[in-house]
Order: sequence, then C-alpha cells, then structure tokens
Amino acid sequence: MHICYSSSKMAKHACQLNFLSRSDGSALYSIGNTVALASVNGPGEVKKSNRHYNRSHLEVCYSPSTGQSMIGERTLESVILHTVEQVILVHLHPRTATNVTIQEMQSDGLALSTSVNATCLALLDAGVQMKSPFAAVTCCLTPSGTIIIEPTEAELKESEALATFVFDGQALNVLSAHQEGCLDSENFYACLRKCQTAAKDVLNFYRRIMEEKYSSDKSYN
Amino acid sequence: MSLKVGGAEIIGVVLPGDEILQFNPDVNKERICIGPGLRWEDNVVRATKPGILKKTTKKLYYVDTHQKRYIPQRREFVIGIVLKKKGDYYTIDIGGSEQATISYLSFENASKKTRKEMKPGDLIFGQLLVANKDMEPEMVCIDTYDRAVGMGSLPEGGIMFNVSLHVARLIVNPENPFLLNISKKVQYAIVTGFNGRVWVKAKKQSDMVAIMNCILMLEVMTLKEANDNVFKVFESFSRHGLK
Repeated sequence: MHICYSSSKMAKHACQLNFLSRSDGSALYSIGNTVALASVNGPGEVKKSNRHYNRSHLEVCYSPSTGQSMIGERTLESVILHTVEQVILVHLHPRTATNVTIQEMQSDGLALSTSVNATCLALLDAGVQMKSPFAAVTCCLTPSGTIIIEPTEAELKESEALATFVFDGQALNVLSAHQEGCLDSENFYACLRKCQTAAKDVLNFYRRIMEEKYSSDKSYN
Repeated sequence: MSLKVGGAEIIGVVLPGDEILQFNPDVNKERICIGPGLRWEDNVVRATKPGILKKTTKKLYYVDTHQKRYIPQRREFVIGIVLKKKGDYYTIDIGGSEQATISYLSFENASKKTRKEMKPGDLIFGQLLVANKDMEPEMVCIDTYDRAVGMGSLPEGGIMFNVSLHVARLIVNPENPFLLNISKKVQYAIVTGFNGRVWVKAKKQSDMVAIMNCILMLEVMTLKEANDNVFKVFESFSRHGLK
C-alpha cells in the first residue's frame, strides 16, 4: 500500500501500489480526475493455442467504467499492447503468458495516458523484467494555438486536435503515438517536445514511488 | 552512503533500464558477477527489475525485488503439490508457469522394487535439479550422495500458505530471531520453499493459524516491527479461547 502524490505544476498524479492482493502486481493510478486500475499477472500458464516457443504471450484487456467493451476499447488495448511489447523482455520467458487487465474507474478525458501509466506501475509492482519504464503524456491544441498538457474533458471538447505520446525511460524515444484531429507538422513537433519534457516528471514520479515502496528494506537490521 | 545488511552492501533503489556500471571485458581486468535482475548488453550492465541493488563482498551484484510470481531456478528448495502420477514420474505444481516432474527413483532408499507412493494433494519438499526458461522443471528429493537431507513428502496435519518471495527469503534461515521468538511461545515445525510456500505444523490448530498470521505480518511490516507484535498475536488468539 504505497500512496504517493506528485508535486509538479501539472495535474495531480497519485498512485497506490499493490492495490489488489491476489494479483502479481497492481496499481491504482490517477491523473487529475481520470483514474485507472491496472493489474498484471505473469509470466504464468498459457493456453496451447497461444504458446510461443521463444517468447511470452502478452495480453491486454481494457474495461470501460460504463457500458460494454467495444471497438474503441479494442483500439486502446492495441496501443497499450504494442507499447508494452517493446518494453517487456519477452524472450526471457518462453511458453508463458503475461496478462494485463485495466479497469477504467473514472474518466475525465485522459483514458489512454492514465491506462498506459497505470500499466507501467503495475508491471513495476509485479517485478516483470523490462528494458525500461515508459510514460504517456497527452496534450491538446486549442484553436488559439496553445498547447495544454494533460487537459480535462472540458478543455478537450474545445480543442482542435489531441495527441498522446508514450516515451521510454532511457533516451525518451517515442514508443507509441496516438493522435486525433488536424495537426500541421510544426504543431506536431511542438506537442512532441512539450510532452517529452512532461514525461520526465512522470518518470521521476515512478522513481519516487519505487523508492517509497523499498524504503523499509533499506534501513532494517 | 552504503549500508551493510546481512552481508550484502545496499547501493540504492533502481528502476529497469538504469545503468549500473560500464563493463568492457577488454578494458576492465577485474571480474564481476551479475545476479538476478541485471543484464549485460553493449558493455553496459543495466537493471531489468525494480528493486534494491545489492553487492556482496565477492563482487556479485543483484537486484532484490518484491515479487509474488515464482520463476523456477536451479538448486532452489521448493514446496510442491502432487498433481498426478504419470507412469515413472509424478507431476508436481511448484507455482511456476509449468509443472515440475519428479521421478519415483529420486527419493531416499527408492529402487525399482520399493517405490515411493504419493497421492494427489500430498505436499513434497525438494530441490530443483533442472530449471531454465527452455525446459520443463525437474525436482529431486535426494542430494548427490542419495541422502534425503530433510527433503521428501511433508507429514500430514500441517497447514501450507503462500507468501511473497521476499518474505520467504527472510524466514528461510532457521536461526532467524523472528522464528526463534515465535518458538518461545509455541513448539512448531516450519518448512519454507523459495517459491513462496510455507508449511507450518504445531500441536494445536489455533497455534498453527497464529504462526501463519505472524509470518503474514512480514508482508506489510519490517522484521523488527513484526518481532515486537508476535506476542500480541498469540495473546489475541488465546484470549478468544480457540481450540
């Protein structure tokens, strides 16, 4: 049960690790009013049809807070799966499966980035071997040309375009990008750079959470 | 700024991808050992798991992670549950992604004529002979000299429960002051597997449940805090007069 809050000028990030006692790793994570719960189980047993001789089978399941899970949720699952595949060291666990399940608790427009970050924290909580952590940042472009990082639902409704970028923890390279609306190349690169700077805050947040989780270990006899 | 804990020096908390040190075998003449949670790639040693980076006196670096999922490793002692008998070997569940197997000959004094009989649901404590990512794990209950050395099927009447792997590693040492503290209150037998399974047996059932609760406390507290609370746990059990 490690609760941590960010102190940056951006919307409040908060997280509680090991939220679910029966999962290998879980994280309840929020950015502002958007909350997502991610749970990771693995590497564990896999169905014969999904077995790969040289790698672990990854599965992502996303459930929205209201309504049935439909095509929009499948898109989210696909983006998260492709991000996570680049980062988890799948070749260390052949003939196994790693499941990620995400439940959207509350949505204020930032469903994708909250889910991606919750997934990363759940993977860190479970101790799954990875190349690096990853951080997602969403930004939107208002009609007046300002770029807002981590907008609310209201701000998103007024915006012309929105973009979500997922960066890796090492060189801040782009792992995935999801964009909606019309963005010319100048604005696109401006969004990308702003998101890259904001991603550093998210990665520092992860580091603080992990340091809190292991703080009791560092100081006992 | 380094602490010495249990013979290993604590360096700090690391996240996956953190660079630990540069190591080029052509340039660095000294030898270092890389343990669990670390990977050497492109002459750089990086962490692959989040946790505390530790270093032993013999230059062995490893990352100590709080994990629940067991990944079988060779030479680790594990508690398994017998699933079925398949001809000349038994299938055992050790908590990993695949079932382990154990041959009927891998017990003390076993021969083709005197077989060890076990039924599904029995508990068995053994050592992993073969365990890597490419092969099905294999267990044995004898050492290289064909002696049992405490391995074999566990007696009836105890209880088995699951704990996180790092908690199991804390209580593996029988000289642990925490376990000795509990023994002041009640006489008991305990077997700890590296796969996070712990088996406890005492005379009364309420004592076994009390010991289980004491060990489960370690998941959320440090050893010191749990040590102080041991007597409180036993008191609350005896106060409610459970048999």
